Amino acid sequence: MDPIVVIATLLAIVLVALVLVVLINRGEARFTFDIGGATPRASGGGDNSTEKGFKNRLTGLSIFSGSIIGVLFTKLWSMQLVSVDEYTQQAELNRTRTISTAAPRGRILDRNGVELVTNRPSLVVVANTEVADNDVEVQLLANILGMPPVAVRRKIQDQTEGAQSLRTVSVDVSRRVVSYIEEHQYLFDGIDVEERAQRHYPLGSRCAHVLGYTGSPTQEQLAASREQEDESGSIVYESGDTVGQAGIEYQYESVLQGIRGEQTVYVDADGNVLDYATSIEAQSGSDIVLTIDAKVQEAAEQALLDAIARVRKKGNSACNSGSAFCMDVTNGEVICLASYPTFSPNDFVGGISNDDWENLSSEESGNPLMNRVIAGQYPSASTIKPLSTFAALNYGIASSESGYDCTGFWTGFGKEYGQYCWQHDGHGWVNLREGIVYSCDTVFYEIGKGFYYSDNPEGLQETYRRWGLGSSMGIDLPAESSGRVPDAEWKWNYFTYADEFARSWQGGDTTNLVIGQGDLLVTPLQMACVYAGIATRGTIMRPHVLKSVSSHVGDGSVMDYVGEVAREVEEQESSYDLVLDGLRGVIYEESEAQASHFTNMSELVSGKTGTAERSGEEPTGWFIAFVPADDPQYVVASCVEQGGFGSDCAMYVVRDIMGAIYDEPDTSTAVDTSGVR
Amino acid sequence: MLFRRDMIPEGIGEKAHTTFSRGSGSAKGARMSSLGISQIVFLPQLVPTIMLVIFGTLVIWSASLTIPEASFMRHLFGIFLGTIAGYAVWRYDYRTISNLSTALLIADMVLMLLPKVPGFGYSAMGMTGWIRIPLIGLRFQPSELAKLVTILLMASLGAEYNGRIETLLDYVKLCGILTIPFLLILTQPDLGTGLIVLVSGASIIICSGAPRSWVLVTIGMVVLGATLVVVTSLTPGLPHILKQYQLNRLIVFVDPSVDPTGDGYNLQQAKIAVGSGGFFGKGIGNATQSGSGFLPEAHTDFVFALMAEEFGFVGSTLLLGLFGWMLFASISLAQRVDSPFAKLILVGIVTMWSFQLLQNVGMCIGLMPITGIPLPFISFGSSSMISQLMSVGMVQSIWRHRPKAA
Repeated sequence: MDPIVVIATLLAIVLVALVLVVLINRGEARFTFDIGGATPRASGGGDNSTEKGFKNRLTGLSIFSGSIIGVLFTKLWSMQLVSVDEYTQQAELNRTRTISTAAPRGRILDRNGVELVTNRPSLVVVANTEVADNDVEVQLLANILGMPPVAVRRKIQDQTEGAQSLRTVSVDVSRRVVSYIEEHQYLFDGIDVEERAQRHYPLGSRCAHVLGYTGSPTQEQLAASREQEDESGSIVYESGDTVGQAGIEYQYESVLQGIRGEQTVYVDADGNVLDYATSIEAQSGSDIVLTIDAKVQEAAEQALLDAIARVRKKGNSACNSGSAFCMDVTNGEVICLASYPTFSPNDFVGGISNDDWENLSSEESGNPLMNRVIAGQYPSASTIKPLSTFAALNYGIASSESGYDCTGFWTGFGKEYGQYCWQHDGHGWVNLREGIVYSCDTVFYEIGKGFYYSDNPEGLQETYRRWGLGSSMGIDLPAESSGRVPDAEWKWNYFTYADEFARSWQGGDTTNLVIGQGDLLVTPLQMACVYAGIATRGTIMRPHVLKSVSSHVGDGSVMDYVGEVAREVEEQESSYDLVLDGLRGVIYEESEAQASHFTNMSELVSGKTGTAERSGEEPTGWFIAFVPADDPQYVVASCVEQGGFGSDCAMYVVRDIMGAIYDEPDTSTAVDTSGVR
Repeated sequence: MLFRRDMIPEGIGEKAHTTFSRGSGSAKGARMSSLGISQIVFLPQLVPTIMLVIFGTLVIWSASLTIPEASFMRHLFGIFLGTIAGYAVWRYDYRTISNLSTALLIADMVLMLLPKVPGFGYSAMGMTGWIRIPLIGLRFQPSELAKLVTILLMASLGAEYNGRIETLLDYVKLCGILTIPFLLILTQPDLGTGLIVLVSGASIIICSGAPRSWVLVTIGMVVLGATLVVVTSLTPGLPHILKQYQLNRLIVFVDPSVDPTGDGYNLQQAKIAVGSGGFFGKGIGNATQSGSGFLPEAHTDFVFALMAEEFGFVGSTLLLGLFGWMLFASISLAQRVDSPFAKLILVGIVTMWSFQLLQNVGMCIGLMPITGIPLPFISFGSSSMISQLMSVGMVQSIWRHRPKAA
């Protein structure tokens, strides 16, 4: 009730009482009723005036006392009978507090059940909000935790953990610090040590780019989760939570993240817990099974490391990064995905230090956080040649019977625009199949010229796009790049400030494109998918790393990833025959040394090398292959940045991965010196 | 000359009411003895008082379950001491002090100044209002006793006029004497007790037969003065007569949302305690507001809120009913006795109880500003219990020493 109303009511009552008194004593100068004759009886007067006067004054007193009781009674009636629910609710609010309890995050397993991500107990120092006002305590805490006092205070003052919860100051505190705090409790009033679950990556950096990492929720995530708070089943983050920030941890956050429990407690005025009331159990997150095979993944990472070391050993210190990828072409399951340089997701647990973060995100360190399989973009180089062949056959630029004379220097657009085949000595007379096998550039220059002058000058681009280049493959990992298929319109808009000639599409652009050089950009994932499509004669399954979501009870799964076709590509069967034949030729015919690495395998392999050139850099080597060649199951791709020829670096990575899959390690030590591309 | 005693009103009734004779006659045995008790004890006032004290004991016992300061044994000890003091007052013929007004005034002043004596006084809650009784180490609040002494003082002075104050000088003199204890209490400073003294004293002056116009003018001047004090205290630059906490209590009274942690918090918690009690209350020991420490001073100043939370509207009504019974019984006694001195004592005591009831219960439910005034017979605290039981003894003494028919 409005206090003004109360006062007004009170005043009104007092006024009424006063008026009553006055009315009773009407006409009297005193608060009495004197009917004349003031002589007290003591003096012998016969009149009872004093008695009469007192009687009325006492009536006034009765009204005074009576109205006090009346007013109190009325107000109590209104409070205890009318507004009882409102006050009861306030009393309940007073004495109950709801504390949220953390839910364990789901684990991440490989396809065979190997734990890739799990949770481990961690000791956490938490503090009462009042500690922030105690300079001595903050300084003391800062000293033993090795944090700046400002940071300690900021952590304590952080509101997002909820008004009542104890605030997290530091996680993964050492036993030494814990025992110091516990031995000196009197120094650390309002500070406590709790055990909490922390993310743990038992294999260190293994599979880091797939798994991603976790962190505290960002301001955006906190705001977004608060907006969805009312929706049932949605996750509401608090700042101490562990939230996926990259990779699978991010992609399947909603599956991995559990639902916080709630514990309602009765507290006293000081906030001490007196009793426990209702509680809602925390619901732990679901375990995720990946399609990744930890064994193959290990081999892939090691192979990548070895290949880069091999290149560097030969004196090419520019080579410091690369990627490797293997997918089951029949269902899109990703068997391994490796990117180098790499990082350990463990560094992010409990908050990454500024130094570590700067190190991980800097250019000099080679962007270890970047997943080069899905986000690395390079010219495809000769690995594009099968698609160029499809285009040529489709648009009638060439046929299976076409023949070309390679002299090593092609002058199709005139001498001044002459271009070298990588084999400067020339391949001699080659047909289309041999063009693929030996990766003869002259063959494809002719095809490019043919397109340039044909009615379908962008037939190449159309074919590439049909095969998925220039668009993302939709893998279930965040931050996938879509690459770039250059065409006349793109070039015109891209080089806005160049002159008209430089902006317009030239014949040289087409001949560059047809051999996968120049402005074309692809990701290793895209190229792997292209080769998966060639291997299956046109069916590209959507690549995915999630295999299933485990059930909370028993060994079953609540959800299995159902493979889906990402892209159905139509080419003539005869074209497939020619290209597949050519790709098998690459492995077994192109170079003796290269072939020696595959003839020691029981399975037949088909594939293609590639060497992408960028001015001022060592070339980036590609190698993409699928196995078994006659009934393909796996496509394996590798790309080594500035690694030199594909046959000299990426090939080893691919071979080692196949060796891990089929348990047939590479025994050949032959080194390719022919420089096949 | 100051205390003119040329008229002695006490004798009047004895001669006038010769028919007042319930106790006389030939009844024998049990009937005789019960009649005998009601001859010397005024049951209509004593019975509700005893019930209030029992009720209060129950409330304090339940408070003692959760509040360590609320020592149940100390409460019982207070009642014990109060009963002895009340018994002594009852046995004592109050009429003998009717012409001792000078002594009463001196006693009053001594009581007020006692806490100021170095080594004797004791300060708590920002007040120097207690004395430490040397041998037993008990603390006593003399201003509690001073309330009764002031009532006796004012009654003895007012009775001189035999129901009619003729001259302005007499009226001013009465008012002037009343301001002495009032101002002395303010120096402790104890505004709450001061107000009780002022209101009871004023009530006696009015009932002594002061002309209405004078009274109205005086009330007007007091209200004006009080307003002036508040306004100057609120205005920066002017002398702040009221202490900041007193101002806060006033501000919070007008708008409880201003200060949710200090006095506003206390008021809010008291209201929640009272309101959430509902019809039957939460039961003894189940009071969450007072039991879990949300309600401050739950056994002293805010004891009503504790009672209302545990016993609900039923308990509140019972408490108000017992007070009403007791007050009206005392008023009826005032109407029945002839002596103006007795009448005025009763007027003072009834006003004191009524005002304390209004003030204490009122502040728990947001009707009055917060002041540290105990609820008579209920609040924990021996000083209050002793002086209130002495007041009861006074009422009983008036009955016992009433003029009886032969």
